[in-house]
Amino acid sequence: MYGWIWRHLPGNAWVKALLSLVLALAVVYVLFQYVFPWAEPLLPFNDVTVDGQ
Amino acid sequence: MPVRVIVRTFSELCITVGTLIVLFVVYVLFWTGVRADRAMDRQIDRLQDRWAEQSLGADGKGDGDAPLLARNDAPYKDGDPFAVMYVPRFGFTWNKPVLQGTATGTLKKGLGHYARTARLGQKGNFAVAGHRRTHGDPFKDFPELRPGDAVVLTDGTTWFTYRIDREPYRTLPGDTGVIDPVPRKSGYREPGRYLTLTTCEPEWGHSHRLIAWARLDATQPVEAGKPGALRR
Repeated sequence: MYGWIWRHLPGNAWVKALLSLVLALAVVYVLFQYVFPWAEPLLPFNDVTVDGQ
Repeated sequence: MPVRVIVRTFSELCITVGTLIVLFVVYVLFWTGVRADRAMDRQIDRLQDRWAEQSLGADGKGDGDAPLLARNDAPYKDGDPFAVMYVPRFGFTWNKPVLQGTATGTLKKGLGHYARTARLGQKGNFAVAGHRRTHGDPFKDFPELRPGDAVVLTDGTTWFTYRIDREPYRTLPGDTGVIDPVPRKSGYREPGRYLTLTTCEPEWGHSHRLIAWARLDATQPVEAGKPGALRR
């Protein structure tokens, strides 16, 4: 999987490394901004009321 | 497909899932707190801006009294802050905005006022919910509350000092009687000006709720300075 990505990135090793870093940061950003905020309310820490709202 | 490729792909998947889990834990334990602190500061800033504007209007000429009255009587707007809470037991610098409503999004920005309960300082039960863990951990030290502890709130014109009357009470999530005008199980018999705080119990779970009750002890206008409970 990661080998496949590495082979399909353009440029020499340095460019590939830089691109990988950018890709990884983009993934982390999407996770923190969109995926985790969606998943977090499914955990029990949000239930602090007594009327189940 | 050679076995080598299958094993490699499988291990890469495992590493990916592991990294995801670690990132999620970082998000829940750390990042929600960073975000909530920022959001709560912003809510308090909004409140202080609004109060400053209104007191300017009140001190100015002509229609001075109108905004002052409007400030106290205006209905709370869903999702908007209307008060700041101070609990010396949670730390001298502990202060959180109180927002109208207990929606998930509202509780990320501060404490939430149960919409169907009394207004701040009024007859009945002013009930407020807050996170115990994650989103800034506002009610982390909830079990430390003891009889006599002060819960101080201000709506920009008045300081309200409530006093806790008993140790936190543990109940089930469906027990809505605890936020009744005369809260059930609280030991209060007569109608009065009460305050109820609710959070989750156990700390990281949601099987129960922890409740604290307080009774209005004193009020004073903001012009008279901070109430005694907040002075060191």
